[in-house]
Amino acid sequence: MEKLTAEQVNELANHFLAMAEDLEAYREKNFATLLDKQNKQIKDLHQLILKFSDDFYTLSAILAFDEVQSSLSLIEELKIKMKITLQTLQDIQKVINIAGSVVTLGNAIVKIDPKAIAEALISLKDAIGI
Amino acid sequence: MIKLFFKINLPILLIAAGLYGCVNLKTINVFSSTALESTRKFEDLEYSFKQNCLDNCHNKSITDLTLDPQICDCKANEKADSITLVIYQAIKGYFDGLAKLSDNKLTSYKTDPLSKPLAAFKYGSFSLDKTHVEAYSIISGILLRAFTDKYRGQKLKEFIIAGNDPIKTLIGFLDFNLSANLVGKLNVQIQVNKEIYFDLTKDATLSTYDKRKAVEEYYQLNDKIERRQNELLTYSKTLKKLAEGHQTLVDNIGKMGTDEFKEMVISYASYIQNLNSEFNKVANK
Repeated sequence: MEKLTAEQVNELANHFLAMAEDLEAYREKNFATLLDKQNKQIKDLHQLILKFSDDFYTLSAILAFDEVQSSLSLIEELKIKMKITLQTLQDIQKVINIAGSVVTLGNAIVKIDPKAIAEALISLKDAIGI
Repeated sequence: MIKLFFKINLPILLIAAGLYGCVNLKTINVFSSTALESTRKFEDLEYSFKQNCLDNCHNKSITDLTLDPQICDCKANEKADSITLVIYQAIKGYFDGLAKLSDNKLTSYKTDPLSKPLAAFKYGSFSLDKTHVEAYSIISGILLRAFTDKYRGQKLKEFIIAGNDPIKTLIGFLDFNLSANLVGKLNVQIQVNKEIYFDLTKDATLSTYDKRKAVEEYYQLNDKIERRQNELLTYSKTLKKLAEGHQTLVDNIGKMGTDEFKEMVISYASYIQNLNSEFNKVANK
């Protein structure tokens, strides 16, 4: 037997709910003529049908997972690709910063300025991100 | 001659190159940022499958007149919530990625970190003219932006086309779980209350005053449930429009950069923004 889909289970839940509504409408309409025992029987049945309906709605939401698996994987793949593209574009700024720090370091070395060399090395370290 | 050509045309080329990418991607950015903001309204929803299960247990305790807490098995409802959350996270992540990639700030590179040290660079008698360095820095910045924006545009097109079917499926199922299943569970709750309160109005041991109080309580409960349903259904309208907007984006991706494309996409974004306002109104009631 084929497995029910999330939509089919939702349909089932809707039918059970409609059934319960009809049953309650009948009970309310005929309340004056119903015996206590009959009234209780209809109420019990009403509650049972509503419980089924409620459970089917929950089940339908759970079954949705089977139907979105491949879409979830595809979107996850795309998210990774987007992250890589984003990183690549952000790295361009990093490269500019590193190049600037290298030139600053070169300038400090040419001037033989130990303080400037130390500062330039720190700035280069920051630009590389180590 | 060549020099003259560049002197006249280079600024135009640079401006055109700079503007081309910006304008195109701004439209995509407006749509994806709006889509992200709308999707995030999920976090403002005050109801869940588990909450519905807990409410049912709570209501049963009241009906049964018991002070002992009910053993409330909400595992299935927790599972339904976690599945809905996984779908939501995937949709949010996708639009977040699109919004970040289409944001023009991403390629607004600062060339100062390189141009300043270059202008200050001196090796013996060799040094670079500060004004030349600054001019090249501006030109390289514009060209860099033009190239990276073209790259971004191509990548965004690829992602939007590849993401169309799966994102529509996910949006559809998020909508389904909330507007068909959770709203359905709330309808069940309405029906449960109807039975309980009908019996109270027919209870011969209650005074007319007590019965009136019960009827008042019944309407208050129904109002509360309907408010929750309204919130879910308004969010559902936004999701439907979002999926429709994404499809329009794909159908017209070849027209990217044209006014027609811009108008089409912006009208979807505005419509979704209006739905966001509608949601805020419903949620704050």
